Amino acid sequence: MTVFRDDLAGFADDYVMGLMSPAEADLFEALMQADPALAAQVARLRDQLLPLDLSAQALPLSPDFAARLRAIIATTPQEAPDRARPANLPQAPRRWLAGLAASLVLGVALGLGGASLRPAPAPQVVAVLLDDQGQPRAVIEDFGNDTAEIRFVADVDVPDGFSIQAWTLPSAEMGPRSLGVLDGPRAARLAGPDLPRPADAQLYEITLEPAGGSPTGRPTGPIIAKGLAAAQDI
Amino acid sequence: MSDDARQRGRQLDAALAACAAGNPNGIDAILEMEGSQLLGVARRILIRHDLAEEALQDAMVQIWRKAAQQRQADGSARGWIYAVLRNRCLTILRDGRRLSSLSPDELTQLQDARQDLAADDDWKLLAGTGRLGDCLDALDDPARRAILLAHVAGYSHGEISARQGVPLGTAKSWIRRGLASLRECLS
Repeated sequence: MTVFRDDLAGFADDYVMGLMSPAEADLFEALMQADPALAAQVARLRDQLLPLDLSAQALPLSPDFAARLRAIIATTPQEAPDRARPANLPQAPRRWLAGLAASLVLGVALGLGGASLRPAPAPQVVAVLLDDQGQPRAVIEDFGNDTAEIRFVADVDVPDGFSIQAWTLPSAEMGPRSLGVLDGPRAARLAGPDLPRPADAQLYEITLEPAGGSPTGRPTGPIIAKGLAAAQDI
Repeated sequence: MSDDARQRGRQLDAALAACAAGNPNGIDAILEMEGSQLLGVARRILIRHDLAEEALQDAMVQIWRKAAQQRQADGSARGWIYAVLRNRCLTILRDGRRLSSLSPDELTQLQDARQDLAADDDWKLLAGTGRLGDCLDALDDPARRAILLAHVAGYSHGEISARQGVPLGTAKSWIRRGLASLRECLS
C-alpha cells in the first residue's frame, strides 16, 4: 500500500466517523466518485459500524410526520444519477486525484460546502482549474444562462491591491471574456456577460489582476490556474 | 446474515429504487421500516426531540434527492441511509446558529447527556454481542472511548481531546489507530 493509499484510508475513517469539516467532506465525496475502491471502503466501514446505530432506542414518530414529509418531497427536485461526477478526469486523472488528496492532507479547502450557494439546476459544464504544477486550485461550474459558480479547493495568495478574475474562451474569434472579479479565493456566484452556450473542452482560467479587474478587459496578469470544461451530459 | 436481515435489505433496496424512479412510496416504505430507529439515533446524538425530528426530516429529503446517485455496489442501503441521517445530525450539532436558540442550561444538559452515552461501563450495550463488540473489546480503552464518542455521540476531534484531557493530535491518533485495528479485526 502506498503512502497515498494510506492517507486515503485515514480519510475514509474520518469521513465515516463524521470527523471531517463540511469542506473536507465535499472534497472527499469528489474523490469517492472517481475512485470506486475508496467508495467501497467507506461502505464497508459504514456497514461494519451499523450495529452502533442499531443500539439506539427506537422512538415513535409524530403521527403527522409522514404526511409532512410527503408534502416536502412533492416539491423537492431529485438529482440525476451522475450529477457529482468530477470533470476533467479523462484529461488528468492521477494528478487531479493526487491534488485533491493533497488538499485534504493540508486541510486547505476554501469556500466549498456552500450548499446555499448551489442553485437547483445542474451546470452545463464543469472545469477543474489546475495550476502549472497540475494541482487543482478551483472548480468552475457554468450553468449556461450567463451564471457560473466558482469554488476554490486550495488557497490562492492574493497580494494587496490585486483581485482574482475568472475568464472563459468561448471561441478563438471572441477571445477571452470575463466571468467576474473576486477579491479573494472564496466561493462566489458569477454573473457574466451574454455568451454562447458553454461547450465541452471550453477553456476556463483565473488570473491575478489589479484590484477591481483587468483595465483592458482582457487577461493581463499571471494565470493562477486553468482547465478545460467537461460537458455534464445529463 | 440472518434471513430477516437479508429480507430487510432487499426491501430497503426496493424502496430506494422506487425513490430513484421518482416514486414517493419509496420514502414511506423507508419510514415504515427504519423511521423509529432513525429517530432514536438522531435523538441520541441531538438529545432534543424537536431537533431529532428536524434531522430525520432533512435526512429523508436528502435520501429522496440523492437516491438515484446511490450505487448498489457502494454497500448496503441501510448503511447509506443511517450515514445520511448521522451527517444531518452532525450538521445541526456543529451549526452554532442552530444551537444558539438553546438556553445555557439546555446546552449544558445536551453536552452532559451526550457525554454519558459513552460512559465507561456501558459501551458493550452499544456494540451488541456481534463481531463488532468483540473487536471493540480488543481495543485499548482510550481508543475505544474515542471511537464511541465520535460515532455514537457525534463528538468532534476537538471535543474528544477536551473531554479526555489530551492534545488534539493524540485524540486524532487514537481514532486513526483504533479504527485501523478495528478494520483488521473485522476483516
